Amino acid sequence: MIKHHPHTDLLLAHAQGELPLSMSIAVAAHCALCHECQSLVSRYTDQAAERAFLAPSEATIENGTSETDSPQDDAWLQMLSHIMALPDAVQQEADHSVSPTVTVNHKNVRYEIPRVFRQHIAHPWQQIGKVSRMRFDVDENNTRASLLHIDAQGEIPQHTHKGYELTLLLAGEFSDLHGHYVPGDFIILDGNTQHSPITKSGCLCYTVLDAPLYFTKGLSKLLNPIGELIY
Amino acid sequence: MENFQSHLAQNRYDRQLSSPIDMAMENDHTISTANAPSTETDPLTNALVKVANQRDKAAFAALFRHFMPKIRAFGLQRLNQQGLAMDLVQETMTLVWTKAHLYNADKGSVTTWVFTIMRNQCFDMLRRIQHNREDAFGDDIWPIYDVAVNQEDNKDHKFTAKLLAHLDALPLAQRQVVQGIYMQELTQQELADALKVPIGTIKSRLRLGLEKLKSFLETQHD
Repeated sequence: MIKHHPHTDLLLAHAQGELPLSMSIAVAAHCALCHECQSLVSRYTDQAAERAFLAPSEATIENGTSETDSPQDDAWLQMLSHIMALPDAVQQEADHSVSPTVTVNHKNVRYEIPRVFRQHIAHPWQQIGKVSRMRFDVDENNTRASLLHIDAQGEIPQHTHKGYELTLLLAGEFSDLHGHYVPGDFIILDGNTQHSPITKSGCLCYTVLDAPLYFTKGLSKLLNPIGELIY
Repeated sequence: MENFQSHLAQNRYDRQLSSPIDMAMENDHTISTANAPSTETDPLTNALVKVANQRDKAAFAALFRHFMPKIRAFGLQRLNQQGLAMDLVQETMTLVWTKAHLYNADKGSVTTWVFTIMRNQCFDMLRRIQHNREDAFGDDIWPIYDVAVNQEDNKDHKFTAKLLAHLDALPLAQRQVVQGIYMQELTQQELADALKVPIGTIKSRLRLGLEKLKSFLETQHD
């Protein structure tokens, strides 16, 4: 059972469309795997919609015909008639059925992952030992978003982060000193937490990191540049 | 859960009816009640159904009047520029007009539907402004247009699965394209953008890849 969920503030921001792409993908993918959060988000969306469209302060502006006080009236009318000159999109999309998942292939295993990843998984995998990574192109300054695949018995050396590290487990399992995780678990760690995830049977995760990793222990401390490679 | 939600929706409609906007809209329009019960109660739903079924211009004009100032206010707040706010109105209302038939009253209110369209458009517009990117991710993040899991033609599905079983035998460039189109459901243009190659290259890689896959199947069948 999924035990780790996004904080309600995050769900709320997601419903309002206020998160950056990397984080929106994470929350959407979690919701695809978690009915609880899914229905919270739809409730928040309803509320956001009411706030945006049914706000009582606006109710007085309108009464059917009196929007003539707008200086751009002509522009609006023009826009309206321009839109209504367009044909509807009936046949192209109406009966186009869409699968809720897409497939990503790695090391001869096919993973069904939420559809939100659709446009991001054409990138190549890069591999370092048991760890492979597919970096997405989200173009958000220092933030890195990737798929991370760890082979069975694989491990990421103990590390800490400068910013936050988000891990959404998509398939398989892993553990760290805080617990054991199942697909759908949404784990955010801040800069003060150290951990070294290890997986028995292998796993596929989506990770968002807003600063490179810093390894804190032994030999891997010397290998800090790996942090850049892994995530 | 289902019941709980429709109960919520019902409450919302009830509340809306008593708001002055909707009373005004109702006077503005003669209302046909020939449709599903939920459409009787809500003038917005009514108007949208008329747009969907009859391309009713008066109904659309009423929706436009209702939503335009609010979308504009939302756009001004998020995009911080008059012209962009106007673009947001145009993009959103264009989708309301062209996709009205995809609205499903059982899934939520018109208000939520239009908000969803607006939020998604706004998300993509913001990325365009801030990152100078022409990508469209909004609708993948928050699916709108009824992504019901349809029992697609099973035979077709099996064949595709069989075909894709030979994927690993393809050269990387062709494999990426075949995977992108058939497994990730990308359009050729989206793939071209992702791989940063011209769309012509995508087409020829796809053709080569499919021909090769087909020849694998044929040698197997013989």
